[in-house]
Amino acid sequence: MHEFSISSEIVRTVLDTVEKNNGKKVLSIQLEIGELTLFNIEQVTFLIHELFKGSVAEDAEVKIKTIKARIHCKACGYKGGIRSEREDPFKHFALQTCPQCNSFQNKVEKGRECILKRIQVVR
Amino acid sequence: MKIIKSKGPEIFDIELEKALLAKNRSLAKANKKRFDRSKILAIDIMGSIGSGKTTLIKAILKKLGIGKKVAVIAGDLTTSIDAERIEVEGAHVVQVNTGKECHLDANLIHQAIDRLKLDGVKLLFIENVGNLICPGEFPLGAHKRLVVTSVTEGPYMIVKHPYIFREADVIVLNKIDLAKAMKVNPSQLQKDAKKINPNAPFIRINALSGIGIPKVINALGLKT
Repeated sequence: MHEFSISSEIVRTVLDTVEKNNGKKVLSIQLEIGELTLFNIEQVTFLIHELFKGSVAEDAEVKIKTIKARIHCKACGYKGGIRSEREDPFKHFALQTCPQCNSFQNKVEKGRECILKRIQVVR
Repeated sequence: MKIIKSKGPEIFDIELEKALLAKNRSLAKANKKRFDRSKILAIDIMGSIGSGKTTLIKAILKKLGIGKKVAVIAGDLTTSIDAERIEVEGAHVVQVNTGKECHLDANLIHQAIDRLKLDGVKLLFIENVGNLICPGEFPLGAHKRLVVTSVTEGPYMIVKHPYIFREADVIVLNKIDLAKAMKVNPSQLQKDAKKINPNAPFIRINALSGIGIPKVINALGLKT
């Protein structure tokens, strides 16, 4: 459900930016979302499209790139990615375990971002 | 912001590089600074629906007995039931209704602080919306984060939500008097909690009767 708040903020930021830059139409927006955020990408995409309806961004393409996670395990020293969804179906709930030693004591170095990279507009 | 002209005469790329979650994190930091300036200790109380967040706050307030020096920001979707329940204990309460939102965020707290009379207030409880998922993603700027879970939520609440329990400074297991009836083993829940977060104290309580409340007060560094 927190997808709604992040999607609203994305839409608000896009429309504000387009207005400030005298954009007539938004062609696409590009986002980067870390794999360790608790966002469901499909829901975010759906909500952005819904919230864009009736605006200059109505037909915009929503491109989302996933940023791979990188953790540093304090227990065994492992540095690198986490288990894939196939290896661990509960990834989003068990996302902090180290793939080498299963410890929860690790630092997330990458993968918690949610970045609005760029907007393509017609002026 | 950088504007680059691309394909065709009137198509432009606007480079934003805007970090959206980072905005909440920086607002949270600003809230914390504001609490520090006013010498207020802020505690974020998180937990599922019906775990006993409001009852815990009430029990702590009753034990502390310092009435108006305590303020509470009560988050809820639409009602003010919790705010009214807490007000009875003499604390100054501001209700924040999130409407559709499942969590409080740093901006809502920032606005709530403006509405609170903070003169003389030394302690602030922020009761988050009942949820074990979303609040983990949105820090508010509190000095300490406490998660309440209860035996009536079953034996798997902690293993299923490691994220929020990992972020907690104090973990509280409520309704301990019902453990037997619920066939839940509190020691197993404690083991789960210690595996995810070995540093957070794990305290068994019954918020309604007051069992374990002094330990919670102690773990939060509060004085009776």
